Amino acid sequence: MKVNGFLKDVTGASRVTKARRELIEHGDPNNIYSDPIRETAKELHPEVTKVRVIDVKDVSPTARKYRFAADLGDILPPFMCGQYCSLDLEIDGTVTTRPYSICSAPFEAREGAEPFFELTIRNGRPGEGFVSSWFYENVKEGDTFKAHLPFGQFYYEPLRDSKHIVGLAGGSGITPFYSMAKEIAHGTMDADLTILYGSVSTKDIILKEELEAIDCDRVRLINVISGDEDYDGEKGFLSADIIKKYSSEDSTYFVCGPLAMYHFVRGELEKLNVPARRIRMETFGAPRDITKAEGYPEIKPALFALHVIRGIQEDLVQASSLEPIAVALERAGIKNNTRCRSGSCGFCRCKLVKGEVFVPAEGDGRRRADKENNYIHACSAYPLSECTVKIPIV
Amino acid sequence: MAFYKDKYDVIVIGGALAGMSCAMRLAAAGKSVLILERHNLPGGMATSFVRNGIEMEATLHEMMSLGKEDEPLYIRQYLDEMKVAIDWLRVPEAYELYSPADGIDITLHAGRRADGTWVCADEIDDKYPGTKKEVNRLLETCRKVYESVLFLNEHTLSKAEMLLKHEALVKTAGYSAKEVLEKSFHLPEEVVKILSAYWIYVGQPISTLPFTIYSFLMADYMIGGSYVARGFSHEMSVAMAERCEELGVQFEYCQNVEKILVRNGRVYGVRTSRGDEIHCDYIASAPYPNTVYGRMIEPQSEVPVQARKYANAMPMSVTCFSVVLLLDQKPEDLNIHSYSVFSSDIPFDTDVFWAQGRNLGGWDYLTTICLNYANDEAVPEGMTSLSITTLPLPESFMQVRPDQYFDVKRSVAKEMIKRVSSHLGVNLLDHIVEIEIETPVTMSHYTSDYRGGIYGYQHSMNNSVVARLEDVEKEQYIKGLVGCASHQLVGDGMACNINNGKIASKMILAMMEEQA
Repeated sequence: MKVNGFLKDVTGASRVTKARRELIEHGDPNNIYSDPIRETAKELHPEVTKVRVIDVKDVSPTARKYRFAADLGDILPPFMCGQYCSLDLEIDGTVTTRPYSICSAPFEAREGAEPFFELTIRNGRPGEGFVSSWFYENVKEGDTFKAHLPFGQFYYEPLRDSKHIVGLAGGSGITPFYSMAKEIAHGTMDADLTILYGSVSTKDIILKEELEAIDCDRVRLINVISGDEDYDGEKGFLSADIIKKYSSEDSTYFVCGPLAMYHFVRGELEKLNVPARRIRMETFGAPRDITKAEGYPEIKPALFALHVIRGIQEDLVQASSLEPIAVALERAGIKNNTRCRSGSCGFCRCKLVKGEVFVPAEGDGRRRADKENNYIHACSAYPLSECTVKIPIV
Repeated sequence: MAFYKDKYDVIVIGGALAGMSCAMRLAAAGKSVLILERHNLPGGMATSFVRNGIEMEATLHEMMSLGKEDEPLYIRQYLDEMKVAIDWLRVPEAYELYSPADGIDITLHAGRRADGTWVCADEIDDKYPGTKKEVNRLLETCRKVYESVLFLNEHTLSKAEMLLKHEALVKTAGYSAKEVLEKSFHLPEEVVKILSAYWIYVGQPISTLPFTIYSFLMADYMIGGSYVARGFSHEMSVAMAERCEELGVQFEYCQNVEKILVRNGRVYGVRTSRGDEIHCDYIASAPYPNTVYGRMIEPQSEVPVQARKYANAMPMSVTCFSVVLLLDQKPEDLNIHSYSVFSSDIPFDTDVFWAQGRNLGGWDYLTTICLNYANDEAVPEGMTSLSITTLPLPESFMQVRPDQYFDVKRSVAKEMIKRVSSHLGVNLLDHIVEIEIETPVTMSHYTSDYRGGIYGYQHSMNNSVVARLEDVEKEQYIKGLVGCASHQLVGDGMACNINNGKIASKMILAMMEEQA
């Protein structure tokens, strides 16, 4: 090798070793550990926040708004309009979770004497929404919960979305838009919001008074009533015509409501040639009847054995083909992490060691390699045979 | 009934690449191994995420040290030996460097010709005639250093033998990349800049980057090229996790290790946030020494003063700020034509770029990766998967409070998008379908790594890998405790971390033998 100039030097290794030893020798001998970035991360994404109900208010004949403040010295993390909170709930000895969109504005969790956030919960119809009905009937001021927040991607992203938001809401899907409306009115969110709120009758409108009380020229509310011919205003469903009437040249559409509404609205937006990047859909809740999901195989409802591996322990429980594995675990009293309960967030990721499950394509948020290696999201995996799963120890 | 055995030979804290690499080798040697991973996914930063059904790489990932199947480099050899099967796709080019202030816009490719000359030397010579010979000579020197480092990774030699057989390594060990590049080779300033673009993959300016590390990086990339996994980085992580379990490793997710239990100068177990106390003889730790000695060792009186000095003296390397985008047009329609582009908005100067890393934004050196060019099928048709990344120092984010966080990250991201937009002549802000902004806080949230660090400690002249190697055994301050992540011997990067894990397993096996 041809060497030039100082490359003849062969003492380099000992020189750098000496330099490093000196560096370490000059290190502080005391414990000076501090990690401000970790502190910030923990404040933004607390594993759990203890909260207490400080107010309950009827916001329709069938819905109530619950106000929560941090309990026992916890602090509420900041969130963005449209994000959700997952509550740990214990009902008759069974521990489960439910995700609810936060309906209060982000600034309300940061300002004031007692910062808070609010969830609006509707009394479910018979046979549906069992947990929400329980919540509606039982929860009262002073009750405490473990809350997990914030989660979800259904938020206004100024780097992506246009400044004019058209909110397409159905039923309790109004809640994230109420949050946006208040934040805009407060001057802390720079956007214009037109809410098209579809209800069967004016009785079904949730947060009616609250929405009407918002006095801000950047926020507009249009109720669209489908079941009352005499209604003095927009009638019918959230059709292309109505959407178009209230859209601007470059609107971003945020859609939140029941599954049937998604399917309808998606078609209507297609008619209007709205580009994909201008449509944000919140996906919420497991299908009411999995057997009606696209691609569900021809099998009779059945109970299967479910082997659950946690560490070196294995338990045997039962699982219904009609319910996701996450629910089977809850029914058996086996703790399990769930957040979105729609298959997308992946909190309940676990390994299907043996057996067969059905995963609805809608909302399947699994990574490619997970699909290939039989990892499932327990909240959206329905057993089709005896199964063995390995889940995290909670 | 219990979730854990009474005792394990080894507990690995952190199921990222280093931890899994360490665990699989220990398990293959018949040891009982438990991995405790705080997240619900394996792989640490080698991961991906899904938005509205579309998977995206978490950041700029390319795997080095693989080489082609028929000419495997050391990490491909190791993964083969461990029977880890991953579907690798070769990245088309090494990189494009775009630095208009220097008049530089050049794309280099990896590879050597049959006569031993380098493809990139020809590419540079095309634009800077008369440089071919010197560039070839530089890369040959790099290759020799590289081979020596790999040899010494497995063997120890006397000083005389070292000088005889590893002259290039010995003679350059005391110098920085800048010193060697500028003083030992006759290259125009622009060519030195072109050949310094990879500095970002170690996050060290070339003035303080040991030539040893520079050589390793250049030779490895230019011999073997780089790769991505067909199923995103998560494919690699899952493949390694699956292999660990096949080999008998107990792999537990969502388990945060809070304390490392020490008695009489020796580890005997860990305690998790869940409250499990689990016993073992050895621990391989992904948490940084700062975290381990600062808050994990219990009792704190077991931390030797020398260990504190070491952790407090180690210079922290960079963290990451990344904007991950899904765009609504094909790359060509957005003027994007390369997989990886390094760009500079000022005259190229790694000292200046590095110093800018202390600030919040105003970063002139960006890395833009377009996944389509390595893995087209992974991106929805008609769309582009693009990430823009820079590697600031942790102090850039130390003052950011939770209330400012969303605004701060958006304003910095917007600036980065605008810079790349101006290079492309296309406003990317008009094409965003999905956007995720990852900050040092994101790194900390998902991994809990000290101050959001991603590259461990600086590869600086006063923390040279040559010196680290010399003192590695002395720096085992607590018996049975071995570091196992990018803060260890060979530093940052996915391949390096697999190697860090391999080295940790070797150290543990040696200690076990000694104990016996």
